[in-house]
Amino acid sequence: MAADIIVGIGPDGSGDHAAEHAVTLARALGSTVVLVFGYDLSTLGPRGGPLEEQLEAVADEVSTAVRERLIRANPDVAIDVELVRDRAVDSLMRAAEARGASMIVVGHGGAGPLRAALLGSTTYEIIHRSTIPVLVVPDPEESADA
Amino acid sequence: MSTVVQEPAMADKGLKGGTLGLVAVIVIGVASTAPGYSLAASIGFVTDEVGVKAPFIMLFAFVPMACIAASFFYMNKADPDCGTNFTWGVRAFGPKAGWIAGWGCIVADLVIMPNLAGISGQYMVLLFSESAADNIYLTTSIGILFIVAMTWICWKGIELSARSQVLLLGTELVVLAIFAVIALAKSFGDGVTETVGDVTYQSVTPSLSWMSPTGLSSSGIIAGLVLAVFIYWGWDTCVSVNEESKDSSKTPGRAAVLSTLILLAIYLIVSYGAVSLLGPAFVTDNADEAIYQLGKVALPTWMVKLLVIAVLTSAAASCQTTILPATRTMLSMGSHGAAPAKLARIDRKRLTPDFSTWLFGAGSVLWYLMLVVVSNNTETDAYSASIAAVGMAIAVYYGLSGVSCIVYYRRHLTTSIKNFVLMGVLPGFGGTVLIYVFCKTVWDARNADYGYGTLFGVGTVLVIGTLLLLLGVPLMLWCSMKYPTFFSYAPDPPDTVPDPYGEDTLAAPLGTYTKGGRRGG
Repeated sequence: MAADIIVGIGPDGSGDHAAEHAVTLARALGSTVVLVFGYDLSTLGPRGGPLEEQLEAVADEVSTAVRERLIRANPDVAIDVELVRDRAVDSLMRAAEARGASMIVVGHGGAGPLRAALLGSTTYEIIHRSTIPVLVVPDPEESADA
Repeated sequence: MSTVVQEPAMADKGLKGGTLGLVAVIVIGVASTAPGYSLAASIGFVTDEVGVKAPFIMLFAFVPMACIAASFFYMNKADPDCGTNFTWGVRAFGPKAGWIAGWGCIVADLVIMPNLAGISGQYMVLLFSESAADNIYLTTSIGILFIVAMTWICWKGIELSARSQVLLLGTELVVLAIFAVIALAKSFGDGVTETVGDVTYQSVTPSLSWMSPTGLSSSGIIAGLVLAVFIYWGWDTCVSVNEESKDSSKTPGRAAVLSTLILLAIYLIVSYGAVSLLGPAFVTDNADEAIYQLGKVALPTWMVKLLVIAVLTSAAASCQTTILPATRTMLSMGSHGAAPAKLARIDRKRLTPDFSTWLFGAGSVLWYLMLVVVSNNTETDAYSASIAAVGMAIAVYYGLSGVSCIVYYRRHLTTSIKNFVLMGVLPGFGGTVLIYVFCKTVWDARNADYGYGTLFGVGTVLVIGTLLLLLGVPLMLWCSMKYPTFFSYAPDPPDTVPDPYGEDTLAAPLGTYTKGGRRGG
């Protein structure tokens, strides 16, 4: 069986489109798709306790929903979910390393280079830091406002 | 199907640890304390109280704050809850005291918002036109926009990338340092004179004695302290955040030490430079925009603009470190059933507490408008009084935090000398100093001549510093009727408190112990 394909998904629906592409690829390659939901909190304030529990619950709910939707449409592809309490990029890198994945698939919401430099962009950063191939899937036009 | 929740590795904790390491962790520490804004907001008023001894007060205020950081560190080990003082207060003293401690934290954050907004409005206008900065309608409108924008940023969960933060903070520190060095060079050299109206100010040669308290009255020291604790506010939380993980490498500890040294150094040289350049009277007479006016004397125009921008970005950072802790305390209170559950609501797309964030933003705007109206229509400078008022709120809730550490860990204090000093002596000392500062300020500020005018016949600082705090009492009583479950909680029994150096340092979940005894689970 081929190595896993990692896909980054977020609470705002970013990555949903990328996940569909990953499933198509996985079917052709015979791989397992791993949906990685990374969530982290600003360090500019205290972050433990109920805040973390609630985020975990949201993360779980969102990723389970995405997984179920994908499975309904693609019952023949194995789909796993990983919740990682970390920044989006680091979550993807860690999940990829832990699973010895062959590829990382991310969506791209159309953040320009300026926005990416000021605020950081998962897509830009993962391209530069990943040691395995990265596939960038542009989001469809109507949801490109990110 | 496998759902795995991975715990983060320490290296990835904090700000982009994996990519930037030490520098990035220092950046959170210094940026969240916001030296540029803190100096702009406080140096004039501190100098007004203690004259050339401003450098002494700036350094001295660090002592109680550093002591309290020890209690943050240990309480965070037992319960790293985003409600910090609220949760710790419940564990040490019970639900009522905990509720008030949480309220104190929210109030402190709320009280400083008008000042943040005001400084931002004023400095934003100063960037373009000096004369327009006196236009209260203009600065107030910009101030309100600033609060709304910052609330929106916190709600959206936007954070600058690590590199942008390093760049902004770097600019801030470099500009402040250049300002201080030039100001000191001029004061040590030929000196400068400046005539405003019929008053002539001139340089004073800096002296090492400015770092000693000699010649200050105890009232003067307390009045200075209540203003200056504010400049270190935020520093301690980042220490506990950085230390919160178990398998921490050397980076967080070193970063905490380095960021502290940077902060102390910048406060010291800038206060020296500010006081000496044209003498303390100039700083006092321009208290509202002291850093800007001094910058104009010391620096070329383009660098003055940079200085103004540094204060602005610093104020924005400070605003984020004000809104986030306040809304997270609200979230914790709502979530533990101590207040309406709505406060704990999380925006599902942005993963931030949306209701709390907007509520806090709206409260800030209202409070800001109230202060502007009061300041404009009476002899009262309610707006300037807010630095001293926030000092009072900080003193009371940090003071409580120090005491709660001793009470909570009372069984562990005597097990080793280290425990006794770090969990007992330091928090006890810091807590006592801060509570004394609070009480003394209440006592002194009852007089109409404390400064900043009067409200209802007593000093404005007293009214602003205690009005909102006292409002917490009826609110707490109302909540105690509405949420009996939370108010039936008991403080953690001392024999259940975990050893902070043991295998498992976490205490049982809040609400495990009730007045009727232990509950199941």
